[in-house]
Amino acid sequence: MATRPLGVEAASVSLGLRRPGAWTVLARFCRKKPLGAIGGLLMVVMFLTAVFANQLATHDPIATDAGQSLARPGPDHWLGSDHLGRDIYSRVVHGARVSLIVGLASTLLGSVFGGIIGLLSGYVGGKTDLITQRVMDILQGLPLLVLALVMSAALGPSIPNVVLAISIPIIPRAARVIRASVLSIREMQYVEAARAVGLRHVRIAFRHVLPNTMGPFIVLCTAQLGSAILVEAALSFLGLGVPEPYPSWGRMLSVSAAEYAQKAPWLVLFPGLAISLAVFGSNLLGDALRDTLDPRLRGA
Amino acid sequence: MKTYIAQRLGIGLLTLLGMSIVIFGMLRLAPGDIVDILFSTGGYVNPVERVAIEKELGLDRPVWVQYLEWMRQILTGDLGKSYRYDLPAWEIIRPLIPVTLELAILSLIVSVALGVPLGVISAVRQDTPLDYALRVFSLAGLSMPSFWLGMVIILGLVAWIGWIPPVTYVSPSENFWLHAVQFALPSLAVGYRSSALIMRITRSSLLEVMREDYIRTARAKGQSGSVVIWRHALQNAILPVVTVIGIEFAFLIGGLVVTETVFNLPGLARFLVEAILWRDYPIVQNLVMFIAIVVIVSNLVVDMLYGFLDPRVRYGH
Amino acid sequence: MRRSRIVDAALSALAVLAAASLASAETPKSGGHLNLMQREDLSQGFAVHETSTIATSFPSMPCFNNLVVFDQTKRAETVENLVGELAEKWSWQDNYRNLVFFLRRNVKWHDGQPFTSKDVKFTFDMLREAPDAPAKLRINPRKDWYTNVEAIEAADPYTVVFRLKRPQPGLLVMLASGYTPIYAAHVNPAAYRTGCIGTGPFKMKEWRKGEFVDYVKNPDYFMKGRPYLDSLRYVVIKERGTRTAALQAGQLDVSFPGETTKTAAEQLKKAVPGLVITPVAQAVSDNIIMNTKKPPFDNLKVRLAVSYAIDRKALISAVHQGGAVPGASQQPKPYGVWGLLEKDLGTLPGYGKIEDMRAQARKLLAEAGITPQNPLKVEMSTRAIALYVDMASFVINELKQVGIEANLKQVETAQCHSMANRGEYQIGDNLTGLGVDEPDANYYENYACGSPRNYSQYCSEEVMKMIEQQSQELNPQKRLALVAALQKKVEADAARPLLDWRLDYFTVWPYVKGMVPHDNIYNFGRMADVWRDK
Repeated sequence: MATRPLGVEAASVSLGLRRPGAWTVLARFCRKKPLGAIGGLLMVVMFLTAVFANQLATHDPIATDAGQSLARPGPDHWLGSDHLGRDIYSRVVHGARVSLIVGLASTLLGSVFGGIIGLLSGYVGGKTDLITQRVMDILQGLPLLVLALVMSAALGPSIPNVVLAISIPIIPRAARVIRASVLSIREMQYVEAARAVGLRHVRIAFRHVLPNTMGPFIVLCTAQLGSAILVEAALSFLGLGVPEPYPSWGRMLSVSAAEYAQKAPWLVLFPGLAISLAVFGSNLLGDALRDTLDPRLRGA
Repeated sequence: MKTYIAQRLGIGLLTLLGMSIVIFGMLRLAPGDIVDILFSTGGYVNPVERVAIEKELGLDRPVWVQYLEWMRQILTGDLGKSYRYDLPAWEIIRPLIPVTLELAILSLIVSVALGVPLGVISAVRQDTPLDYALRVFSLAGLSMPSFWLGMVIILGLVAWIGWIPPVTYVSPSENFWLHAVQFALPSLAVGYRSSALIMRITRSSLLEVMREDYIRTARAKGQSGSVVIWRHALQNAILPVVTVIGIEFAFLIGGLVVTETVFNLPGLARFLVEAILWRDYPIVQNLVMFIAIVVIVSNLVVDMLYGFLDPRVRYGH
Repeated sequence: MRRSRIVDAALSALAVLAAASLASAETPKSGGHLNLMQREDLSQGFAVHETSTIATSFPSMPCFNNLVVFDQTKRAETVENLVGELAEKWSWQDNYRNLVFFLRRNVKWHDGQPFTSKDVKFTFDMLREAPDAPAKLRINPRKDWYTNVEAIEAADPYTVVFRLKRPQPGLLVMLASGYTPIYAAHVNPAAYRTGCIGTGPFKMKEWRKGEFVDYVKNPDYFMKGRPYLDSLRYVVIKERGTRTAALQAGQLDVSFPGETTKTAAEQLKKAVPGLVITPVAQAVSDNIIMNTKKPPFDNLKVRLAVSYAIDRKALISAVHQGGAVPGASQQPKPYGVWGLLEKDLGTLPGYGKIEDMRAQARKLLAEAGITPQNPLKVEMSTRAIALYVDMASFVINELKQVGIEANLKQVETAQCHSMANRGEYQIGDNLTGLGVDEPDANYYENYACGSPRNYSQYCSEEVMKMIEQQSQELNPQKRLALVAALQKKVEADAARPLLDWRLDYFTVWPYVKGMVPHDNIYNFGRMADVWRDK
C-alpha cells in the first residue's frame, strides 16, 4: 500500500483523478531514486537467496570435509572453504536465511509492538502517555548492543532468544518515531473533522491516523533492519548470538576466521561483505523511502 | 529554565531507577552464576562448597534483599566488590573510564569532522554524481560491521607491513606518539561509522533550510552564494545536527564493545562483555548504570542545548 | 705448498672467532624483558590451588616453587628428569610408604619471611583437607590426588615426611606438576586470588585486570645467577586474530601453551621464517562423555557404537588439521610414558578401517534395538567455544552415518559443569587436561567412582580394583603392563571414548633462549632459565 502525503491524496480524490497503478509508482521511484532502487534490488536478492538457499547452495553448509580444509576459491568451492572444509559459498547463502529471519523477525516484532505502543500513547496522551514514555526511556537508555548483550546472556543462545533480545531495544525506538508521527497527525483538520462527525476514537486511531504513520513506519523498519542484522552479527561474533549449527555471518567471522585469515583471507572477506551488502541495501532503500514518503523532505 | 532542568533530572532519576530494576532482573534471569563459573574453572562441582561460597558472596539472600542492598550501596557511594576479582568494583572500573571516554570523544570528533563537511558538500551539490558518491561512501561506513572493519585493518596491517598498533594500552604520559597511533585506528573505524548519520542529517537539514524563503531572499539581494550558505543556512541546520550528535554518542558506546575487543583496548565496553560472561553482578550492574547515566546526561545536555538554541521548544505538550 | 703466515694467522683468527661466537651463543646473557601471550585474564589470580586452568597456572609459574619440578630445560617429563626446587634431596622409604624431603635452606618468600617445612605442611594439609588443617580452600579441584596421604610431618624446619596409607610410587611425580606449588603458611590462601607471595624467580609487580601481569626479577632467588631476565609481562589478549597478529608483529615474544594450532604455526612461519616452532604434546585430550546413568547411554552397546562410529584419524585431520595424535586414556608414546603403542591402538574402536568400524557400530546398535526403523535421537551438548563446537559438529556427522541423529546444543561455560554434575545431559564432547603424566592423577580424577570430574558418572568395581592395583605396583615394568590393561579396559567399556591428544606448536621468537616446552602445558614456564639473545 503506497501512501502519499495527505494533501495530494485529498486533492486527487476531490478532483476525481485516478490513482496511478503500482508499477507506475515503482518505475517512478526507480527513476527518481536510483540509489534506493539499488538498495531495493539488494534486498530482493537477499530475500530470494534466503528463500531459495537450498537450491542455490552447492554443498551442505554444515557438512565437514577434512580433505578440503582451507581450500582456495575455485570450481569446487566458489568462495573457498573454511578450516573444517565447509563450503563458504553455501554457508554465506544459508547465512542469508538466518540473518534475514533474525533481522526481519526482530525488526517486525519490535517495530509492530513499539508502533502500537507509540500509536496508543500518542493518541491517548495525558498520563498514559507520560508513563509509557518513561518506560520507553528506560529501555532506550541503553545502547542497542549493550541491552541485546545482557538479554542474550540472560536468555541463552538460540534463535528465538536472539530475536527477542534484538527486538526489545527496537520497541522504544519504534514507539518514539510512531508517537511523533501520531502527535503531528492528531492535530490535523481531517481528524478533527472525523471527531466532529462523531467517529469513535479507536476507529479514528486505526482507520485514519494509522495509515498515515505508515510512511515513517516503513522507513523505521528498513532502518532498524540494518541495525538488527548488524547487532545479530556482533552478538554472534562475541559468541552470544545464533548458535551452531545454523550458519551465521557474524559467527563465521569470529575465532576461526581471524586465526586463519592470513592463509585464507576469503574466510574473513566474504561473510563480512555479505553483512555489509545486506545492511547497505536496507539503508539505501530506507533512505530513499524516507525521501519519498516523508513529506517534509520531499524534493521540490 | 530551572524547572525544566529540575523536571528532566527528576525524570532521569526515575528512568535510572527503572533501569536498575530491569538490569538487576535480567542478570538474575541468566542461567548460571559466579559460583558456577568458579567451579567450572575448577573443573568440577561440589554442592557443599557451593553453599559456602554463595553465603560468602551474599547470594543466598532473597533477591529483593540483594537489590535493596545494591541500592543502599550506591547511595553510600560504595559500588560493591567484584565477584571475580575480589576487589572493590570502583577500583577495577575506574582505570577503564578514561580509555572508553577518550575513544568515544575521539570517535565523535572524527564523525563530526567527517560528517558535517561531507553533508554540506552533498547538500550543495544535491543529486549530482558527487552527491551520490559521498552518500554511498558514508552509507558504506554505516553498513560495515565495525568489528569486521577493525579485524580487516589489523590483519591487513600485519600481513602487509608486519606491524600492528600496540596491544597493551599506552597512556599519553608514557609515550604520546604511540598512544596517538594506538587510538587513531579505532577512532577512525568507529568515527567513520557514526559519521554517516551526521552526514545525512546535515545534508537534509541543510537542504530544508536552503529552500526557505529567506535564503532565496538573501540570494536575490545579491549576497554571494557561499556567504549565504555558510552563515544563514548552517546556523539553522545546527539544531538537528546537535540532536543527532547526542543520539550518536549513545549509539557509539554500543559500537565500542566490539572495537575495544578487536583492538584490545582496556575500556569499559570490553570489560562489560567479560563481566557478563562471568556473571560478575556488581561489575555488570554498576557498569550498565554508569553507561545509562552517561546516555541520560548526554541526552539532557543535548535537549538543553536544543532548548537554548530554539526557544520554541519546551517540555510537555 | 707452504701457506703464507698471513693466511695462517687469518685462519687461526677465524677459528678463534668461530669458537668465541659459538660459545657466546651458548652463554646466557643477563638482563632483558619478555612479553608472553596470555589468552585470557587470570581466572582467580594466582590461586593455582583453586583452579584447574592453564589461564591461572601458566602466568603463576614464575611466582612459585614446588618441592620438585620437571627439569625446565628438558622436554620429557619423567622421573629421571625430576629436579629439586624447594627440596634439595628426597627419598622413598619403607617400600614407597613414606616420602621424605630434605628442604633447601636460606630460601625467602617474596615478602622476606623464611621458607620452612611449616609452609609445606600447611600447603598439603590444606590440599588434602586434613581435619586439623589451619586453612581451607574455597574450591579444591585436586583433593583426590592426596587421598592416600595419612599425615604430613614437619619434625624440623627443613625436613618433611609424607606418610601414606599404602605404597604409592606415583605421588612424587604428582608433586612436580605446575598445579602443586607451595603456598606460604603465613599468607591467607584467599590472598592469592589478588596477589602472589611465592618463593619463585620473579616477584609479581602488578596485575592490571584484563590487561597484563608484570613480574620483576627476584634478587633473592635461591638459585644463584638466576633468573637471567629482568622482567616479564604476560599480555592478555582475548581476541584470537589479534593475539596471533601480535605474536607475528613481535609485540609478543612467546606464545601461550596450547594455543598455536598447526595451521596457525604454518601461517606464522611463512610470515616470519625466523620463528622457532616446537611441536609438543599438551597432555590435553578430547573425549566424549556420556551419561551412563540414563538411557540410552546406560547401555554399553550404544556407548561402544558411538566409539566405533567416530573415525579418530579423520577427526584429527578435520578438526585439528593434523595437529593431534591418536591415543587411549594415557598420553601416547613418545609424548607420554604410559601410553599404548601404535599397534595396540589399532585394535581399539575407531582406529581400523572406517567401513568396518561403521558396520560394527551399526551391528551394536541393532543389538541394542536401534535400527533405521527405530532410530536414536539424542542431544549433543557442547561448550559454546569454537573448537568444542567444531568437534561436536564433526562427531554429529559421524554419528549420523551409523544411524544416530544428534542435534547440537550449545551450553554456556557457566552452566556446563553443573549440568554435567546433575546428569542433565546425554552426550557431549569434552576436553581433559592432565596435570601430570601419571595414571594415579588421571584415573582417580576421571574414572573413579564418585569422582566429581568423572562426568560420565561411570562406576565399575573391576576398574576401581585395577586402578588401586596399579597405584601400588612398585615394579615399573609390571606397572606399565597394568596401566596398559587399564587403558584397554576403559576403552572397551566406552566410559569416556578418547578421541585424540592435542599437539601444540609452541612458538617463540629466535632471540628467546632456554624456553623449552614440555609434553604437558601445565608444567613448564618457571622462566628462571630463560634468557634473551638480543
